[in-house]
Amino acid sequence: MSLVLIQLLNGLQSGLLIFLAASGLTLVFGILGVINLSHGSFYMLGAYLALTFTGIFGDVFLALALGIPLAFLGGFLIEFLFIRHLYNRDHLQQVLLTFALILVFNEFQQVVWGSYPHSIPAPSYLADSVRLTEGLSYPVYRLALMAICLALALSMVLVIQKTRVGRLIRAAESNREMVEALGFDSRMIFRLVFAAGTALAATAGMLAAPIESAYPGVGDRVLIVSFVIVVIGGIGSIRGAFVGSLLIGLADAFGKVFIPQFSSIIIYALMALVLVVRPTGLFGRA
Amino acid sequence: MLARPNPSVVIFFLILLTGLVALPFVAGTYPIKLMTRIIILATFVLSLDLLIGITGLVSFGHGAFFGCGAYAVYFVSPESEAANAFVALGAGIALGGTAALVVGAFATLTRGFYFIMVTLAAGQMMFSLFHDTDIAKGSDGAFVNVKPELAFHGTSLLDFSDWHQFYYVCLFVLVAAYFSLFGLVRSPLGRVLQGIRANEVRMSALGYDTYRYKLAAFTVAGMLAGLAGALFASIDGFVTPELFNWHQSGLAIMMVVLGGAGTLYGPIIGAFAYALLEELLKSASIVGPLIADHWRLGTGMTLVLAVLMSPDGLAGFLNWKRPRAIRASSGGPQGENITIRAMHVSKALSTERLSKNFDGLRAISDISIRFAANRVHAIIGPNGAGKTTFINLLSGAIAANAGRVLIDNRDVTGWPAHRIARAGLGRSFQLTNIFSKFSVRENCALAAQSRKATMWRLLDSPYEAPEARAVDRALSVAGMAERGDLVAGEMSNGEQRQLEIAMLVASGADLLVLDEPLAGMGPEETQRVVALLRDLAHDHTIILIEHDMDAVFAVADTLTVLVQGELLAHGRPDEIRANQAVLDAYLGREAKAGAVA
Amino acid sequence: MSTTNGDVLDARGLDTFYGASHILRGVNFRVGAGETVSLLGRNGMGKTTLLRTLMGLLKPKRGSIMFNGCDVTRSRASAIARAGMGFVPEGRGVFPNLTVEENLIFAERPGQGGRMDWTREAIYEIFPRLAERRKNWGNQLSGGEQQMLTIGRALLSNPRVVLIDEATEGLAPKVRDDIWSTLRIIAQKGVAVVVVDKNIDDLVDLAGRHVVLAKGEVLFEGTSKQLRTEWEFVSRMLGV
Repeated sequence: MSLVLIQLLNGLQSGLLIFLAASGLTLVFGILGVINLSHGSFYMLGAYLALTFTGIFGDVFLALALGIPLAFLGGFLIEFLFIRHLYNRDHLQQVLLTFALILVFNEFQQVVWGSYPHSIPAPSYLADSVRLTEGLSYPVYRLALMAICLALALSMVLVIQKTRVGRLIRAAESNREMVEALGFDSRMIFRLVFAAGTALAATAGMLAAPIESAYPGVGDRVLIVSFVIVVIGGIGSIRGAFVGSLLIGLADAFGKVFIPQFSSIIIYALMALVLVVRPTGLFGRA
Repeated sequence: MLARPNPSVVIFFLILLTGLVALPFVAGTYPIKLMTRIIILATFVLSLDLLIGITGLVSFGHGAFFGCGAYAVYFVSPESEAANAFVALGAGIALGGTAALVVGAFATLTRGFYFIMVTLAAGQMMFSLFHDTDIAKGSDGAFVNVKPELAFHGTSLLDFSDWHQFYYVCLFVLVAAYFSLFGLVRSPLGRVLQGIRANEVRMSALGYDTYRYKLAAFTVAGMLAGLAGALFASIDGFVTPELFNWHQSGLAIMMVVLGGAGTLYGPIIGAFAYALLEELLKSASIVGPLIADHWRLGTGMTLVLAVLMSPDGLAGFLNWKRPRAIRASSGGPQGENITIRAMHVSKALSTERLSKNFDGLRAISDISIRFAANRVHAIIGPNGAGKTTFINLLSGAIAANAGRVLIDNRDVTGWPAHRIARAGLGRSFQLTNIFSKFSVRENCALAAQSRKATMWRLLDSPYEAPEARAVDRALSVAGMAERGDLVAGEMSNGEQRQLEIAMLVASGADLLVLDEPLAGMGPEETQRVVALLRDLAHDHTIILIEHDMDAVFAVADTLTVLVQGELLAHGRPDEIRANQAVLDAYLGREAKAGAVA
Repeated sequence: MSTTNGDVLDARGLDTFYGASHILRGVNFRVGAGETVSLLGRNGMGKTTLLRTLMGLLKPKRGSIMFNGCDVTRSRASAIARAGMGFVPEGRGVFPNLTVEENLIFAERPGQGGRMDWTREAIYEIFPRLAERRKNWGNQLSGGEQQMLTIGRALLSNPRVVLIDEATEGLAPKVRDDIWSTLRIIAQKGVAVVVVDKNIDDLVDLAGRHVVLAKGEVLFEGTSKQLRTEWEFVSRMLGV
């Protein structure tokens, strides 16, 4: 029983965390129409930024305060230098360019941080575990993480639904040209969305760092799982990404316990199942 | 259509091949091993071009079939003796092909982004399968202790552990693979594959079951990737799950595009260029230790620049275009004679209470109508009235929510588009929808070829005699007999629309469903096409959507008026002209405009 | 380059291509302040292309566009919109995933010199139907409501010129008349209107000047009176 409960918590926690990365990916794909394979690299760079900044400031949350704006700026720059050239090209070119960016980012990581894994301490005030039931305790940091992810998810929905910039983003998603004709520079909207997507991936990487440490290739799995989630949830749907992330998180957590040999296949099987039942994903538009 | 390579390309490859053949005579073991690796890689990448460049399927899991081929060699190799080389390579082809058939059966149901993701997921699943289970020694990889050989009564004919012999085997496979694929792509089957890449919807509308073709291409590519994988396992005698990794598949896509997708030889150049660049950047003695330590940075940046600067790939440099002969613009269809033909009884089409909803909104409600054979029927109505939706229901492009569609009293409701096309319904699209890189004649041949159900047609003759006759007849009926060799995309809009009609005639369709066949045409072009349509009614039934009222009244035997998805009126032109409801809803203001004068 | 006094919009010698097809061929087109101009021509003759070129959504290969005395030939559509051009495209361009209110709200901005002739309240006043449906999503509107919404949205930026493509296409006669009376109100408030539509007799009543495009060239330009006297020629151009 406690095993089920603990895996339930683990599944929710990893699902909420991956939601940050997946929502960034689905935004970028849904609005910009760009398949961004380098999304996982931003997650990885986030983890390493957390390493460096935690080393300097001594607290992963302070690292976040500096790391998020930095990732946002980085995304802004990457869009300006590379991504904006891809909007009118086909998927193939997008796949190629963003794949090449992965190689560049991986090497950048090697140059700056080297190839050894590094662990990052959770803040000392969150380092304990709490007793949930008899014989079951759970790390406080993970609980805090879930709360932060939920808060971020909520504020993202609020921004998109209730603010001016959110309305512009939704409008640009359905008709970019009309947004231009109403006097808004759609290039800036796109750049903003890409930067936000990058920041979301990096944030996920930074938050995850105290749990899974920073190592080369940490973003690979995140990228692929995020894509699976985008497919399950439906392209461009934040709500779909949320449901998909939790589904994947839980399926993975329980799979690891009950069918360990095939646990890594479960998420793909889930995706195949969803595609058979709903070819455009759970919340995708036809 | 895939053209024969330019002389410059041929010369380049002759030089390359000569160099490769001569290499073992001048070089030591290291360059030979390196070149063997690159040649195998090139074979693998070449197989991917059949999917990406020819059929238009961006597979992100192609590395999986390469991995399957490699593991097949491990599976068939006995513990301490050599496997038969034919068995080893055959097993590679078989396992790669089988895996591709299974994956492709699911993946080719999807399109675009979803296809990329499904193939990626399939590759990762196979990676996990070999990585996490011990069917082949798990994540550590496995050794093929003795490399395959070919022995006859104890004498060794071919031994893969001999570097020179193995090198030539690999080179032979690459050359043979190139020519086989080249032949395949230029065959009737290959023409269909290229048609699918150019315009899959159109291919279904022409009667091709595109799923089968895509699956066939996927399987063939998987077999070739399996062969390359089997050779790869024989390099080091070591196989690892990393072969399945998505990075492998990503690199392969990269080499295809770097070299130039869709040319077959381009990806070979891409593989050589990428591998040699990597080798160069890794050599500290040439580029210095600083660069050599960070060679990935160099390759990554080079690729980023390559994508941004040259969308056509390296092949674009070799295959420069000859300046096109500029054709004096005729300004539209010309006055070739249309022959008057004897009457031939065509098919009728009717609908019974046909309905379609989009998101709960009624797009088409309850339409029952009969379009008699050998007549021209026009569908008119304001924009958004559901005209295009209606003909999409007729042609099977979308499925109805209720009601039936009958062709000559045969119920075709719910049939997929390609099956309805085979039942004799051919359609054109609102936007001109031809294969713009094919010649006029090839466009029609593609249409004519759809009459035969056989898929595996590799005969060298581009199309068979009855089809050739069908093409000639279609071209002359449409008044295009003298323009068969023009590249379709370079013709005027009016000519392209005429070609669409010719393609439908060539496909042998009895029922022609045309979406705005006169859009964007000038008065003379319009007149010619109106005459053509009248003439085609001798042996076809024509249903068309059109806004040009003059033309509609000139060409149509019956008019059908749709307003907001409902059938407002159906009848002869004079009846429609006199119908008060129609006048109010649609024609009224225009008819009155004449009174201004 | 001289601009006739009083012209808000003055385009000269426009050549626009769509892919390889040469759509506009040396088109001159001007709009005076507060004037209503109709743009006529059969399908595929270049009306939509002209509007999109004026709006900055297509770039002309040759020619110049002066708007409010500034050269906007190479400007982005967003800059032209901010300079005071409103656009109602063919197919209307309602954002389906935004509510009526949301569709309007972010288009609202003061015009030249801080003029706020048009506010959301003013739009809801002339289109009471929109006020009733302000919480509905864009894709839940009927064709007429969509057209009211895009016209209202274009007005909210307090423009000097509004370009309206296919103003009444697909609308019921009753709704058409509503649209025409709205356009009259707009004109009375001093906003110049360029309107494309198929109902010529309505346009003859509405617009002071008419321009007929055929094969990408201006073949006729004149007042309603001139249009009537040359009706034979014009009607041939229009295929009526």
